[in-house]
Parts: sequence; C-alpha cells; structure tokens
Amino acid sequence: MMDSSAFAAETVGLTKRYALSWKRRVLVALDHLDLQIKPGEVFGLLGPNGSGKSTTIKLLLGLIAPNEGDARIFGLPPESIEARRRVGFLPENPYFYGFLNGDETLRFYGKLCGLSGAKLEARIEELIELVGLQNGRERPLRSYSKGMLQRIGLAQAMIHDPDLLFLDEPTAGVDPQGSAQIRDLILRLKKMGKTVIFSSHLLEQVQEVADRVAIFSLGRKVLEGSLDDLLVEKQATLVNLPGELSAERREQLQHLLAQAGFNGADVSFSRPRLSLEQLYLRTVKADRKS
Amino acid sequence: MTTMRFPWRRVIWIAVLLCAWAPFKLVWEEGIEQQQNLLRYHGVAMTRQLRDQLTQGLTIGVLAGMRNVVADFVWLDVTVAWEKYEWFKMDSLINLCTSLEPRSIIFWDNGGWQLAWNVSVAATEDVVRQPNPLRRLHDSRFWIFKGLDVYKRGIENNPQSYKLWESTGELYQNRLADYRNAAICYQRASELPGAPVYLERFSAYMLEDAHDDAGAYAAWKALWYRLTPAQREEKQHWKEKIMSSIRKLENKLNIPREKRVFPN
Amino acid sequence: MIGSLQRIIIIARNTLTEAVRQKVLTVLLLFGVVMICTSSFFSQVVIDQQIKFVKDFGCGAIGLIGLFIAILSTAQLLPQELHNRTIYTILAKPVRRAEFLFGKFLGVVLLLALSVALMSLAFAATLWWQESQGIAATKATYAANPHWESIPDQVSAYHHDVDAIVTQAEDPQLVEAILLLFAKLVMSSAIALVISTFSTSFIFTVITTSMIYLVGHLESTARDVWLQGGAQVSFLQSGFLEILSLLVPDMNSFTIVDEILDGHAVPWWHTLNLVGYAAVYTFVLLALSELIFRNREI
Repeated sequence: MMDSSAFAAETVGLTKRYALSWKRRVLVALDHLDLQIKPGEVFGLLGPNGSGKSTTIKLLLGLIAPNEGDARIFGLPPESIEARRRVGFLPENPYFYGFLNGDETLRFYGKLCGLSGAKLEARIEELIELVGLQNGRERPLRSYSKGMLQRIGLAQAMIHDPDLLFLDEPTAGVDPQGSAQIRDLILRLKKMGKTVIFSSHLLEQVQEVADRVAIFSLGRKVLEGSLDDLLVEKQATLVNLPGELSAERREQLQHLLAQAGFNGADVSFSRPRLSLEQLYLRTVKADRKS
Repeated sequence: MTTMRFPWRRVIWIAVLLCAWAPFKLVWEEGIEQQQNLLRYHGVAMTRQLRDQLTQGLTIGVLAGMRNVVADFVWLDVTVAWEKYEWFKMDSLINLCTSLEPRSIIFWDNGGWQLAWNVSVAATEDVVRQPNPLRRLHDSRFWIFKGLDVYKRGIENNPQSYKLWESTGELYQNRLADYRNAAICYQRASELPGAPVYLERFSAYMLEDAHDDAGAYAAWKALWYRLTPAQREEKQHWKEKIMSSIRKLENKLNIPREKRVFPN
Repeated sequence: MIGSLQRIIIIARNTLTEAVRQKVLTVLLLFGVVMICTSSFFSQVVIDQQIKFVKDFGCGAIGLIGLFIAILSTAQLLPQELHNRTIYTILAKPVRRAEFLFGKFLGVVLLLALSVALMSLAFAATLWWQESQGIAATKATYAANPHWESIPDQVSAYHHDVDAIVTQAEDPQLVEAILLLFAKLVMSSAIALVISTFSTSFIFTVITTSMIYLVGHLESTARDVWLQGGAQVSFLQSGFLEILSLLVPDMNSFTIVDEILDGHAVPWWHTLNLVGYAAVYTFVLLALSELIFRNREI
C-alpha cells in the first residue's frame, strides 16, 4: 500500500509499453519506474531523447495510462480532477490554439480551471507581467516565436496557482536571456514552496536549479540522487586563490603542499573558467547599460 | 484510469446501451412512419422503374433526400422537350416528375395543362408533321385525354386539392364542352378547403350551359339560402347575379308563385 | 454539475470561435450564389413554379451545405486536437474527457445553428424578392386591360392570384422545415463524432459518415422488409437488414420536409416528434462516443 500523502509525486513499478503492430515488436517506453518526489523539491529528469522523460510526465499527468504499476500525485490518482487542480503542465512543443491571442489563451485555460471575472483578469495581468509578454498579448499565438510560446506556456501552466509544476524541456529553443529568466522563475517558485519537476537535456541549466535529478536511458532510471551527492568529486578538493599565480609562486606552493604530504604528481593547477552563459550575460548586460 | 486491461466493463456498457436503444428506436420509427402514412398518401419508394429513369447522380440525390431538387431539374426538361415537339417525351418526363413528387400540385396541374392545352393545340396546328387534318384532330383529342388522365391521377394522390378539380372542370368546360362533368368538377372543387368562392357559382353556370335547368335552379337556390341576412343586404355583383339567375330560371321553369324565392 | 456544464460551454465557445476565425462560414457564400442563380436563371418559368424552385433549391442547399459543414467540421474535431496535441494541455487541466468531447460537439452544433440561421435569412430574403416580383408580374398581366380595376371579377381574380403567390411564398411551415433540416444535421454530426472516436483518419470518418447518411434513407425500406419480409427474404439477408434497422437512423422520415415544400400541412406535433427522435438519438450517440473515447490512447 502506498502511503503517498508525504510525496508530491510518486511512482511504483510504473511501466508503459507501446505495441508496434506492423513490426510485431513492443517498445518499452518506461520500464518499472520507482520514483519519489517530495513537496517543495525541484527535480530534474535527465536523459537523451526517447529515454522516457516525457512518458513519465504524461503518466504522472494522467494523460496516458500505464500498463503496469501505479502513480500518485499528492496521494491522488493522476487522472482525477482533484489531482489535476493542483498540477500545471508546460508541454515541450507549443500545444496551444494558434487562432487565440495571448490574453484569450490565458482566459480560456483560466476558465477551464474554474477562475472567472475580475480575479481571472487580475491573474492574467500578473502572469503576463511575470513572463514578460506585454508586447505579444494581442497577437495570435501562431505568430509567436518559440521563446514567446514558452512564456505563454509557462503562464497558462501557472494560471491556477498549482502546487506542482511539470515543465517539459522548458528552455529548449529559448535564448540565453530567456533561459536565465526561466531559471530565476523556477527558483522563485521553489521559494514559494512549489514543487517543480522538469525534464531537460541542457545539463548546465539543470545543474543550477535542481535539488535532485534522475537520469534515464532507454526507458529505465539509471541513476538518482541529489546534486550535492552526485556531483561532488569525492576524490579531490578545490582550493580557490585570488589573482594570477606566477611560476615562482606556484613552485612555492607545490613545495608547501609536498611538505603537507601531498604527492606532487596528484596536484594540478588551473584557471577557473566562467561558463559561457555567465560571460554572455555579463557582456549583454554591460552593453545594455552603456 | 487504472492500468490498461481489455476494457470489458466498457464493452458491456456499450452493448447494454445499444440493446436498450434498439427496440425503443424501432418502435419510435414505426410510429413516425404510421403518422406519415396518414399525413401523406404514400412516400416515394425507390422502385426499379424509377431508378432506371433517373441517372446515377440523380438517384443519389433522391436517396439523399433531395427529391424535390431532382424533380425540379427533370421538370426543366419538359420545356426543352416542348420546344422540340417531343410530346411523348414530355409525357414521360411529366410522369417521372409526378412519380418523384406525387404531392406536388404544381407538377400535376401544370403537367396536365401542358398536355391537354399546349400539346393538343399544337397537334391541331402541326401541319408540317401531320398533313392529314382528321388525324390532327384525332391526335389533339388524344392529348386532351392524356392531360385529363394526369389531372385524375393528381386528384387520387391529392384528394384535398381544390385546384386540380378546378383545372379538370376548366378542361371539361373549354376543351371538351362537357358542361355536366364541368359542373360536377367545380362543385367538388368548391367543397374542398381553400377553394375560392366563385367556384360554387361556376358549377351553377355549367348546369345552365348543360341545359339542366332544374339542376341549375336547385344550385342557385342553394347558394342563395346559404347567404346570411347581412350578405343578402350587400351590394355585390355576384349577389345580383344569383338573384337574376334565380328569377330567370323561375320564369323559365314556371315555378308556382308561392314556391318562388322571389315571388314578385 | 454546474462546473461541468460551464467547462463544456467554455470548450464549445472556443470551438465555435475557431471555426469562425478559420473562415468556415465563407462556404455559406456558396448558398448565396445558389439563391441568386435559382431566382434569376429560371425567370421564363411561371411564377408558382419559380417560387417552388426557390423553396426546393433553398431547402436543398441548406441541407447539403449544412451537411458538408456538419460532417467535415465534426470529423476533424478529434484528429486536429490529437495531431496538434492541444488535447494534452486541455486534459492536463481539471477537465474530464467527457466534458472535452461534449464541449467540442456543442461547438459544432452552435456552428451549424449559426450557419442555418444565416442561410435561412438569405433564403427568406430571396423568397420575399421572388414574391414581390411575382406580384408585380401578375399586376402587369391584368393591367394589359387598362380598365381592369373597375371590373369586379377581374379584381377578385387578381386578389385571388396574389393570395396564391403570398401563401406559397410566405409559408410559416417553412420554419418547421428548417427545424427538421437542422435536426437531421445535428444527428449526422453525432454519427460523425462516434466514428471519429475510434477512427484514425479524417477521410475514413467522412466517407463512413456519408455512407451511413445515404443508407439511412433506405433504412425504412430495410426495416419494412425485415419486419414483414416473410418467405422471400433469406436468413442472411434478414440478418443484414436487421442490423441495418437497429443501428442506422431513419433519415427518410425527415423527407416529410417535401410535404411542407409542396404546400401541404404538417402539424407541429409531428415535427416535434421527429425533432425529439433526433435529439434522443443524438444523446445515445454522444453516450456511445464517450464510452469509446474514454480510454482512447492519445
């Protein structure tokens, strides 16, 4: 018996198979997944295309049914209305109506969630502001760029202030600035106590926001754990020194370390590097200010 | 939605739904059909004969419930055939239209008129195709009776139509000089819903033309007695006509004074 | 319950908005063309025949164009949502599959109502125009004799002729006729919906629904033969006819519209009986669609 109320999302032995009738083979999209995600966590699903990340999300949303196993959202079956009231979904490609504009899209989804009237309008204003879509709100969605679609997607996912957000490839095709904004948004949501489950194969970005990750391959979860546990190089320690190190100084240091018992061959010196993203943002910001 | 198994419950529900609906559906449809049989004499069944006369496209049109449109298209050919002197083709087309729309007064009425009037007159005058005047006369009468037959079949299919009785009466009166039958037709027409009032008078006129003075007198009297006192006071030309006809016939038939409608 | 209804209406309005913005209604211009052609091309024909043509073609066009809209719009409801995956975002919200399905269907019904209403307006306008043309032509015929207005018989005959034209053109029963046509369209739409819940292709849905529509006009014959067939009908034939009679709607009963077009009276209770039949049948088909769609893989 699953005591699931402690978890935001939980799966036990979750399996999904697709029958490829013309080839008489069975594609195992997800193979006996056991997963537990606590409320307030930011959880990353990693893996190459076709590894089962999107399938997991769709099973947890109740959009598709599993062949074996069970899934729960806040202890409830995912296809139940109560569960879906507490969940928001940003799909990986725009799954929206092209003939509606930004405002109308949010109004439509908001009404479906039970919001209405002045409250809904206020919420729409809030979200448009939050995702920065003031320019595009009057234009039909078919004229939106990829980045704008991601933003409206985020807005509709959050329209009813859900406790749990599923983001499927939230930064795919978005420029670095937009990515950074999305990253900041995820962190802000976390501060508000929301749970965020997102899938991505942009590893650096996952690294910046996720508390825990799971790595998928060919439908199976291969690895799971918190980033601190997984990423920390247990076999070495990094020492940070300010400024550049001249050859003399370096020799001095090596001498000191040898005295402290560190084998010279195991010690290495290198310059810390910025990430390209940090450089980019720094440059663009500076350029904007001038 | 729990895990995927073969959805037995759903299949059973679907079967239950269909099994519950099927007998209900049958009964309802039979009821509707009975009501419709009462409302109209008979619907159009897609008989072999009908199907052979229509081309494939038109058959589908009839099947799809566009019967009237198909019949209208066929009707246009009647005028085309008329211009080509193809009178038997006209007859056949008229039959087709009336088979498709047996409840259309317009087809029966116009069809009968085309044959009994247009075609029969054209037959009389068609010196080119028929040089023999006796044969022309014979043909002319042939087409009059063809038209009459159309009117009669129209009446069978539409017993409540005054128009067809009226047209038959006109045919008897003006083409066949058969005033007695004309009188009968006008009388029948006048009894049907929607008939114009003057048809009653036509019947009486016809009886006079048929030299049936006693009958005519009875008819005019009946008309007079049906008028309300208010109507009798009105200054209408037809009222004058009724009165004058009664007087004339009372004199002609030597009705004794005390039995007359207008003693003076 | 109310929430359910609200969500259905929200989805319905969205579906209608989509159809209107995708300019589905421009196909109604075709109807306008038909009306103009019908009234101007047959001007050599006598007025009662001309009004008959306008009525027949008008109702025929409403039925046919309405049928295109009904079948094509309904058949693409689910394939489009599945292909564009827009169904995912909707079902990720607290919306039941049934609400989604019924909402989409209601949207098409609203589209049909709007289309039929617009076509009816054009139809009425054409009839009115034809009527006034006819009255003018009749007057012209009588006016050949300049003193006709002082001859009572001529005057009453003229009034009688004008009354005939007006009665034929301004027939209030045409409202019943259009209502019956609409009911037939909604039922056809429901058939398309059922097929589309398990069909994998738009074309298949369109063709199958069209076939059922056509066969539906023969259902009454099939039913009669099955119920009263007797010795002439083999067991296999009887079985086939039975399946036909039990599953396919009786489309032919709606050709009572022809009675109305021919100027005969059809009482309202009979019309409402037919409309009721169509309504109940539609609900049965909707229930069937929901049962099939409930667990469909999306």
